[in-house]
Amino acid sequence: MFYVELLLVGLVWGCTYAMMALGLTLVYGLLRILHVAQATVFTLGAYVGLLVANHTGSLALAFVAAALAAGALGPLIYRLIYQPILDKPPFVALVASIGVLIAMEDGFRLMFGPSGLSFADNTWFTTTYSLAGMVLNLVQVWIVAAAVLLLSAFAVFAARTRAGVAWRATVSDPQMAESFGVGVIGVRYLNFLIASLLAGVAGVLVGLLNNLVEPGMGGVISYKGLAIIVLGGLGNVPGTLVASLLLGVVESYGSVFLDRVMDRDAIAFLFLIIVLMVRPQGLLGKAH
Amino acid sequence: MSVTFRSKLFIASALAVALAAPAAAQNIKIGFHAPLTGFAASDGKSALQGAELAVEQINAAGGVNGRKLELVVQDDQAKPEQALPLANKYIGDGLKIVVSGSYSGPTRAAAGVFHKAQIPYISAYAIHPDITRAGNYVFRTSFMGEVQGRAAAKLIGDNLKKKKVTLLTLNNDFGQALSAGFKEVAGKFGVQIVSEYTYAMGDRQFGSIVASVKKDDPEVLYVSGYFFNGGPLVAQLRAGGVSAQIVGTEGFDTHNFISIAKEAAEGVMITTSLDRDSKLPPMRKFIEEYETKFKVPADMVAASTHTAISVAAEALGKAGANDGAKIRAAIAGIKDFQVATGRISFNELGEIYKAAQIQVIKGGKFRYFATIDDPVLLAPPTK
Repeated sequence: MFYVELLLVGLVWGCTYAMMALGLTLVYGLLRILHVAQATVFTLGAYVGLLVANHTGSLALAFVAAALAAGALGPLIYRLIYQPILDKPPFVALVASIGVLIAMEDGFRLMFGPSGLSFADNTWFTTTYSLAGMVLNLVQVWIVAAAVLLLSAFAVFAARTRAGVAWRATVSDPQMAESFGVGVIGVRYLNFLIASLLAGVAGVLVGLLNNLVEPGMGGVISYKGLAIIVLGGLGNVPGTLVASLLLGVVESYGSVFLDRVMDRDAIAFLFLIIVLMVRPQGLLGKAH
Repeated sequence: MSVTFRSKLFIASALAVALAAPAAAQNIKIGFHAPLTGFAASDGKSALQGAELAVEQINAAGGVNGRKLELVVQDDQAKPEQALPLANKYIGDGLKIVVSGSYSGPTRAAAGVFHKAQIPYISAYAIHPDITRAGNYVFRTSFMGEVQGRAAAKLIGDNLKKKKVTLLTLNNDFGQALSAGFKEVAGKFGVQIVSEYTYAMGDRQFGSIVASVKKDDPEVLYVSGYFFNGGPLVAQLRAGGVSAQIVGTEGFDTHNFISIAKEAAEGVMITTSLDRDSKLPPMRKFIEEYETKFKVPADMVAASTHTAISVAAEALGKAGANDGAKIRAAIAGIKDFQVATGRISFNELGEIYKAAQIQVIKGGKFRYFATIDDPVLLAPPTK
């Protein structure tokens, strides 16, 4: 049962990575930008969710507010930071993105204080279910549910709707899509909107799971998200999801059995190195 | 218009300089660096507030030999690479004593520089053993990690009469030192270590550790770390159904720990040097005036920087403010000095002896549980 519980813990972690990494892989697929500043969107979502939850007592309102705030910030970062430098080499956008992350981390510190905030009444955290000696709380259940729901919604959107078809066409060939009348600029905003909604919701969920929202909370998950999209095969959506879950599970076992040797984040990057040595194109990427 | 304005401004500033200059020249400057920005900014804020309160209290009581104290504050971001420029600035400005309100990284890097420059340097709460080994100009006013680990082993074996312990250890110098001290004397108090898991500074999710603790089923958990990882860890342990007694360290000694862990913090015990129910006058005065001035409860970090400034002021009072060697000797000679963290004495390495306070969290507040005052068990290393 202990091993099953570790597996569940790992899958929950993997679902938080998936919600974060999907947005990163979407942005990379479309613009070839490593969108590290997604961490800022994630952290903003967490803070807005926490403040709304603590003032209104409603987690539903908290998620709506977090999604709105995150959904506004992501496209704004695109408009103000990335769009003016799109004609520059990709590393310029990466440097700008890291700059946004660092500046906003201290911005959050100035706005909300350095020591982090916690939910006044985290009922999801304290609501637990026992199953054969294993204990899961409602946050963990919701993380899995949210990941499945949101990622399925995205899959349906991409496969079945006009906007989804336009989006896929733009990813595979922007010039061709544009000559067929697809509004490329609109697709870019849509892309950042989807990525940011996911990140904002993930921010609140991780805040609930940790029972702590703090200025630097987005950094690690964002860098790990970059590792995951490389692991999955850059721009490859199914590969990103598989890599997210796999990494969560590897970390869960690793953090108990390899803890004397290396910490959880080191395990993540060691895993990345090993996979890339065997499969340089990523888990589900196609070899060139 | 602009000319008149400018000339008025000139006169005003000339006056200001003329009035301020003689007063400023008489102040005794104490260098003080702390992480005011960056990941440790929360402790940096407490550190600065503790130091400011000490200066204010000392000045209100007439200062040192009739002169006022003045802090010269620099931000080190808790980064070692900030330490050298900052130390050189203090040395260049001719300061004769400096207090570190920071973590081990920058403090360790600066210690050797100050020793070479023959400027007494007091580390308020950084715990790396090498800090005081940098030379005899370097002192520390907080417990060594090992000493605190030994106190925890005695608490669990002697006071609580429990045997089976799991260690949850932060994998930095602080956590490793606590764990080492605990293991060193655990056997002596009949404490048996059933398992140990280590985690990293950045970890906030402990699902896998919670599952492992449930499997090992210890009577007591000895948890090292700081409030920002310990708070989530304790909350997640309790939510996961772990009911074993939790014993923490002075890293949890802040109201932030309680505000993060909330109900899960109830019953958690910590080894620290600040007793909220103390009757010792300087400790009482510190706790009350800190809360009045800053509207937050006092914590270990603030108490430690307050102590370090008090030590500096005591030495400046005895030795004058001009000669580093004399100030150093005065600090080294301090015995049974009453400060915010209790009665303190320094040993030949510049390490402190004081009693360990065991506090328990009750009703959302730190309260007295026990005092461990054992000069043999809690003796800091001498080399």
